[in-house]
Amino acid sequence: MAVTARSIGAALAQLGGAASEAPGALAAAAIDGRTPRWVVTPRSVEQVAGVLALAHEEGLAVAPRGSGSALDLGRPPRALDIVLDLSGLTRVIEYSPEDLTVSVEAGVTAGALDGRLRGHRQWLPVDPPGRTPRTIGGLAATAAHGPLRLRYGTLRDLLLGVRFVQADGVVTWGGARVVKSVTGYDVPKLMVGALGTLGVLVELTLRLHPRPATETTWLATFPAADAAAGFVAGVVDSWLQPNRLEVLTAAALRACALPAAAVAVALAVGGVEAAVREQGSVAQGMAVGCGGTWTTAPADFWDRCDQVFAKAQDDVVLQVSAPASRLAATLGAIERRHAALTAGADAMVTGCAPVGTLRVTLTGGDPDELTALVEGLREDVGPGGGAVVLLAAGTALRERVDPWGPVDPGALALMTALRDEFDSRHVLNPGRFVTAL
Amino acid sequence: MWPGVGYTLVREPSPMALSHAFVRELRDIVGREALVTSVEGRLVYECDMHTLYKGVPDAVVLPSTTEQVQQVVRLCRRERVPVVPRGSGTGLIGGAMAPQGGVMVGLNRMDAVLAVDLPNRCATVQPGLINLWLTRAVQDRGWFFAPDPSSQMVSSIGGNVATNAGGPHCLKYGITTNHVLGLELVTGHGEVVRLGGAVADRPGYDLVGAAVGAEGTFGLVTAVTVRLVHAPEAVKTALASFASMVDASQAVSDIIAAGIVPAALEMLDEVIIGAINASLGKIYPDGAGAVLLIELDGPRAEVEAQAVDVAAICRLRGALTVSVARDDAERAVLWKGRKEAAGAVGRITSSYLLQDAVVPRSRLPQIMRELAAIAARHRVTIANVFHAGDGNLHPLICFDEREPEELARAAEANEELLRACIALGGSVTGEHGVGHDKAKNLPLQYAEADLNFMYRLRRVFDPDGIMNPGKLLPSHPACGEGFRASRPALPTGAWV
Repeated sequence: MAVTARSIGAALAQLGGAASEAPGALAAAAIDGRTPRWVVTPRSVEQVAGVLALAHEEGLAVAPRGSGSALDLGRPPRALDIVLDLSGLTRVIEYSPEDLTVSVEAGVTAGALDGRLRGHRQWLPVDPPGRTPRTIGGLAATAAHGPLRLRYGTLRDLLLGVRFVQADGVVTWGGARVVKSVTGYDVPKLMVGALGTLGVLVELTLRLHPRPATETTWLATFPAADAAAGFVAGVVDSWLQPNRLEVLTAAALRACALPAAAVAVALAVGGVEAAVREQGSVAQGMAVGCGGTWTTAPADFWDRCDQVFAKAQDDVVLQVSAPASRLAATLGAIERRHAALTAGADAMVTGCAPVGTLRVTLTGGDPDELTALVEGLREDVGPGGGAVVLLAAGTALRERVDPWGPVDPGALALMTALRDEFDSRHVLNPGRFVTAL
Repeated sequence: MWPGVGYTLVREPSPMALSHAFVRELRDIVGREALVTSVEGRLVYECDMHTLYKGVPDAVVLPSTTEQVQQVVRLCRRERVPVVPRGSGTGLIGGAMAPQGGVMVGLNRMDAVLAVDLPNRCATVQPGLINLWLTRAVQDRGWFFAPDPSSQMVSSIGGNVATNAGGPHCLKYGITTNHVLGLELVTGHGEVVRLGGAVADRPGYDLVGAAVGAEGTFGLVTAVTVRLVHAPEAVKTALASFASMVDASQAVSDIIAAGIVPAALEMLDEVIIGAINASLGKIYPDGAGAVLLIELDGPRAEVEAQAVDVAAICRLRGALTVSVARDDAERAVLWKGRKEAAGAVGRITSSYLLQDAVVPRSRLPQIMRELAAIAARHRVTIANVFHAGDGNLHPLICFDEREPEELARAAEANEELLRACIALGGSVTGEHGVGHDKAKNLPLQYAEADLNFMYRLRRVFDPDGIMNPGKLLPSHPACGEGFRASRPALPTGAWV
C-alpha cells in the first residue's frame, strides 16, 4: 500500500498527537546529518503505539528520542523518517515511598524525579555526568551509569519493570512492579542498553534506595597510577563500604579546579556519622600507606564532576572497560595512545575503579588520529576481555570507526536473531546498534 | 484455571521411548558410566522437591565437559528429543523433571571452581558446584557468594542461575541475577556461546540478564562467572516477637520506610514457630503470633546504630520481646530455625503447596489479613515463613496427599491467594521460579502480548522447542505455540 508523504503526515498527526513537518523543527531533529521527515511528540502510550504501527506498516525508520543528549551514541542511522520525541511522556505514574519503588513515564527527567524523591530522603542512584536533564527512558536505553554504581549497581539492577512498544506497535510489559520477581523471562534486562532497538521504552518501574543521611567524600592523591591502583585494591579487599570510588587523572582534576596530582581517587562514604568517620580514617591509613596524600574533598565535589564531565559540544567520550585489577595498565595505555595525538587537549579520565570502566573525554583531535587511538586501545584491552565504546563522537569519527567495537560472534548471532525476531523490518533505530543491527 | 487441576502430574517411565541407535550415540558421547537407562535408575530423577509433579526421563546423562553437553544437545536437536537440565534437584517448581520424557542432563559432575579472581571480585565455576562450596573456597580470605537460598548447602550454582534464586540476604545483596557476570551456554541450536564475562559494560544486548532465570529453556549453562562480595565488618541478628502477623508486618514496613535496608528481614508465623520449637527445641518465644528475624550487616558503627533504631521501631509497633544475639553461636541458633523451617513443617502436615508470590511490602498487613480469611474460607492451614523485607511470601498451604479433596481445597486457596497478591500489584514468583508449577499462573500477571514476546524470545535461543519443554511459559490450547498479540488499529482510509 504505497502512500504519499502528505497523507502519512496526516495519519501521524491523527495517531501521534503533535506531528511536525516544519522545516525548522525537522532540521533541529536531524541525527548525524540525516533530517527526518516528521517529528512526532506523543502524549500517551497509545499514541506511541499508533505511530509505530504505522511506521511498521509503511516501513519507515524511527528514532526514539528522550532529551536528545545521547544521539551521538552508536552508528549513524541507516535511515531516518520519524523522530519519536518522548519528552512529552512526563507523568510520574505511581510513587510509593514506603515500598521504595516508583513508576514513571519514559520522558520524566532525572532532575524532575529527584525533586519528587528528595522529600522522602530517597534517590535513584544513577549518576552519569550531566544526568539532570536526561530522561529516565534515555538513561535506561543507553545503560548510562556513574560513580554510584559501585554501591547500587546500574540500571540493569534497578529496573524492575518496563512497558515498551514493539516495532509493530504492540504495547508490551515485562517484569514486575515489586522489588523481587522472577516470573517469566527477565525482559527488563534486555531493554537496558538496547538503544530502543527491541522496543520503545514508555514506562519504567524502578527500585529506589534511601538517600544516605550524610555522605563525606575524601580525595586521595598519588604521584603515579600504580600507587592509586594499590589504594583501590586495598579498599576493594576490605570491609569498607564506599558509595563511590572514582579515579581521576591530572587533566580531570585540573578541569574540576582541584589540587594538582598525577592521579587521584575520590572515596565517598554514606551512612551514620560515626561509621563514616571510622571508614574515612581506615581509608586514610591505606592511602598514606600507598604514598598518597589525603584531603577532604570540597562539598560540591560530585556536582563539579557532574558538570565538568558532562559531554560538551565536540567532545569525544570513550568508555574503556578492562579488568579492575589492571587499572594502572589501562590508565597507562590511555595515556600512551593519547600522547600519540598531535592535536587536541588533554584527556580527562574518570571512572569507577573497582568496576574497571573508565570514561575518557577528549576535546578536539584529528579523525584519523582518533581512529588510530580507538583501534589501538581496543588492541590494548581487547585480549583481556575489555571493550572500548564511543559514548559520544562526531559523525565523521563514528563513520570511520565502529563505535561499539567487536562482539563475540556467538553472542552476535543471537543478538542478530533477536533483532530480526522483534523488528524484522528494522523500524527502530536501523543501523545504529552493534554491528549495524 | 479449574480448581485443583494442574496440581499433579505423573509421567510413568516408558521403556521403549528412545531407539537403540539413539541410546548408543548417547553412550558414545558421555561413556557407559555416565548414562542411566534402567527404569530403577531413571526413577531417581522423576521429580525435584515438588513431588506432586513426576516426569521420568527416558535417559539420564551425566556429562563431564562442555563438549559432551554440546554433543548431547546436538543429538537431541537432530532427533527432536526434549533436553531437561538438572542440578541438585532441590528446585521447588517441578523444573528439573521430564513431563514429556527425553534426555535429562545432570550437571553435578561439572562442579569445579575454574578460577577465583578476588582483585576483580569474581569467580568462574562450573554449574554443578554447590552454592555454599564457593563461599567456603573464598571465606578464609574474607569473601563470599551472596545469593543464599535456604538450599545453599545442597543446591548447585547452575540451578541457582536457572531459577534466578533468591534467599534471605537478597534483601540487601540482590538475587542471583545481580551476581552473574558471564555465562557459557549451550543453546538450543547446540552452539556454545560465551555471554558477558568478568569485564563489565560490553557492547550489545544483555543476554546474560535474559538467560539468568530462563530455567534451561535457552539451553544449558556450562560455566558461570559470578560476582563475589567482601564480608562486612560486623553482623548483628535480632529477634522480635509480636502478638500478630499484622503487627509484625507493620514493623517491617516501618523499618523499610525509615531508610534501613537490613541484610535480611524474615518473618515466621505461629504455626511455624510451634513446628520449629517442637522439632528443634525452644528457639523462639512461646505464645508469639509472629516472629521477625532481622539481620543487619556492614560497618560496625552503622550496624550498632541501626540495631538501636530497629529495636525502637519494633517496640513502637508493640513487640512482645526484642532480643539481639550476643555472639555467632546465638546467631546460628536464631538462623537454624529459619533455615530448617520447611523441614519442621513435616510435624504438622504430610504435604503442602508452597507459594512464592510477592506483594509490595507496604501491603503486607493487608495480604496477611486476606491470607487468614482465605485459609478460613477453604478450611486449610496455612503456615508462613517468608522474606518479609521484600514482600516475598512463602505460605505453606497444608493438605493430606491421600485426600484428593484436601488437595483441591488447597489448590483453590492457592489460586485465590495468588490472585489477591497480583491484585495488590504483586508478582507470581519472587525467587523459586516458574517451572511446571506456576506456568499456568503466568496469565494472571502478563497479558497475551507480554507472553507472546516471551515465546518469541525463547524461540531465538531454542528454535525447535527442545529445551526443557513445558516449563516457564503456559501452553495455550487455543493457539498452540503462543498467544496472539493485538496491534493498535490504524486509521482506515486516512492515507490509502
